[in-house]
Amino acid sequence: MTGRKLTWPLAFVLFGALIISLFPVFWIVMTAIKPPTDWNASPAIWVPSHPTMVNFKTLFDPDAIRAYGVGGVSQAATNSVFGSLLASVAGTVLSVVIGLCAAIGISRYANGGKATPLIILSGRMFPPAAIAVPFVIIYSNVGLIDTYRGLIAIYVAGTLPFSTWMLKSFVDDLPREIEEAVMIDGRSRLMAHIFVTIPLIRGGLLATTLFIFILNWSEFMFALVLSYSNVTTIPVQLARYVTATAGTLYGVQAALAVLAMLPLILAGLLIQSHLARGMTFGAVKR
Amino acid sequence: MQEATSARGSLPSNRLGQLLMLPGQIVSLLVLVVPLVVAFYMSFTDWTPTHGSLLQATLVGFDNYKELLVYDTRFVEAVVRTLLISTVCLALEFVLGLSLAVLFLREFRGKAILFSAFLTPMMILPVVVGYTFWMLFQSNGPINQLLMLVFGSGAGPQWFRSTPLAISAVIITEVWHWTPLFFLILLSGLNAIPENPVRAAVILGATPRQVFWRIVLPMLKPVIIVAFVIRAMEIVKLFDEVFMLTRGGPGTSTETISLYIYKLAFADFQLAYGAAAAFLVLLGTLALIHLLLAPIRNQLLEARR
Repeated sequence: MTGRKLTWPLAFVLFGALIISLFPVFWIVMTAIKPPTDWNASPAIWVPSHPTMVNFKTLFDPDAIRAYGVGGVSQAATNSVFGSLLASVAGTVLSVVIGLCAAIGISRYANGGKATPLIILSGRMFPPAAIAVPFVIIYSNVGLIDTYRGLIAIYVAGTLPFSTWMLKSFVDDLPREIEEAVMIDGRSRLMAHIFVTIPLIRGGLLATTLFIFILNWSEFMFALVLSYSNVTTIPVQLARYVTATAGTLYGVQAALAVLAMLPLILAGLLIQSHLARGMTFGAVKR
Repeated sequence: MQEATSARGSLPSNRLGQLLMLPGQIVSLLVLVVPLVVAFYMSFTDWTPTHGSLLQATLVGFDNYKELLVYDTRFVEAVVRTLLISTVCLALEFVLGLSLAVLFLREFRGKAILFSAFLTPMMILPVVVGYTFWMLFQSNGPINQLLMLVFGSGAGPQWFRSTPLAISAVIITEVWHWTPLFFLILLSGLNAIPENPVRAAVILGATPRQVFWRIVLPMLKPVIIVAFVIRAMEIVKLFDEVFMLTRGGPGTSTETISLYIYKLAFADFQLAYGAAAAFLVLLGTLALIHLLLAPIRNQLLEARR
């Protein structure tokens, strides 16, 4: 299959695809460093002649934001960065811990039966807009609306299928004999899992954690409908800026967008060899 | 499956297995099953937030469902539109992703860096992708600049003012965002194809084209289906990008199912009606996935053992 050389026309095609892949990223980064006069210039300015960090400063300065006519709940982005970090990190850690237990349970004790994969997958098919409706009702009755606890609970449940199946595929790759040798040694099953299984899949554990973090950090709709003034995440803040100014806060919004995507690109690059496994619930391994 | 080889001092193996499953089951029950039951009950009532508690709502049987399927053209249109957008997107993403993956079977320098670069779009959060393309498609934005450069006309199109252009913008955005997933999955599949049948065919005199269509593609089928199922599941929920790009406009001409349900519930507060719409969508999606998975169901379940 492999081995043939790339011809010039094909190299040209590849180059074109590369430009298309990266151009939007280039554009948002360039917009983020444009001074306000360049934001919406006509014709559009591709590379600003006076790059600036002022948009990033504006994001975290309530007075500067208000100067653009944005007030109320859609003010400085400080809270949203904090909120995104809190909700994503807590949601990720819990999801991975619970998913790890379930992964070992399914892989080593054959719980769940044949249909479980399809049942769990069907949980991902339900449109979030639909689940959001009962959530708003239940949450307002139990006082969880506009709280981080409430949002984190959803993030844990929403990513649990991914963490369970991704981790299960890593546990499956591990030969049973290794654990069994330790068990014969006199250690209990639980101890064998804690001291043998988990250390041996630590690479997979890290990849799963970063993958779940990407999913949680990207989530938009639940954060949108379950948050009012206390809880904000970066995607919700971005949408608020767009709503408050009809999208014309170009540079500031782009700066927030750049802050939002940097950790994801970093995390994605770190786990790129495991991305296929994560996205396909372990069905494609490499 | 497994013999209960009980080591000294250990829990019986099936008890430990059940115990390990418990946290996940509790979370799924509380955060997925309970809301689903509430939504299911709600879909048979005429409840709105001004009616007081949900338990006091009047049961109306299948009225909501009948209304949706028979009278609500906006809902039916949203379903058709979502299916249309999904079909076009998946077809384009598959063809582009497969072509790129095949190119990556060749030898060239800088392959690792290029691989990372091609994966970048799928790592970016949907809201940011939507906002970025909203900027790109502005009437004085870079896309129109390029179009004017090529076609030399005075002014570029207003992407968000006409129905076909707005839908094209949504499709272009979605294809840019998710072609990398097809590329990634299909490249994994291509690399996992055993060499021997390919080599045998070449020795027997098959042309590269024949090898690709007759040997490689059939062996790739399970992976192709997995990629389609994963993407189909996500794209029928399409919301974030459209929310940032068009909010469903102009009019309702780019409204997807998710966007319509969102507006029903959180702008018009027709929660019970929205819940009914959601259940119809869930049934439709399940049927669709079932059909897509049918050819490889046994293989998939075997692989999971």
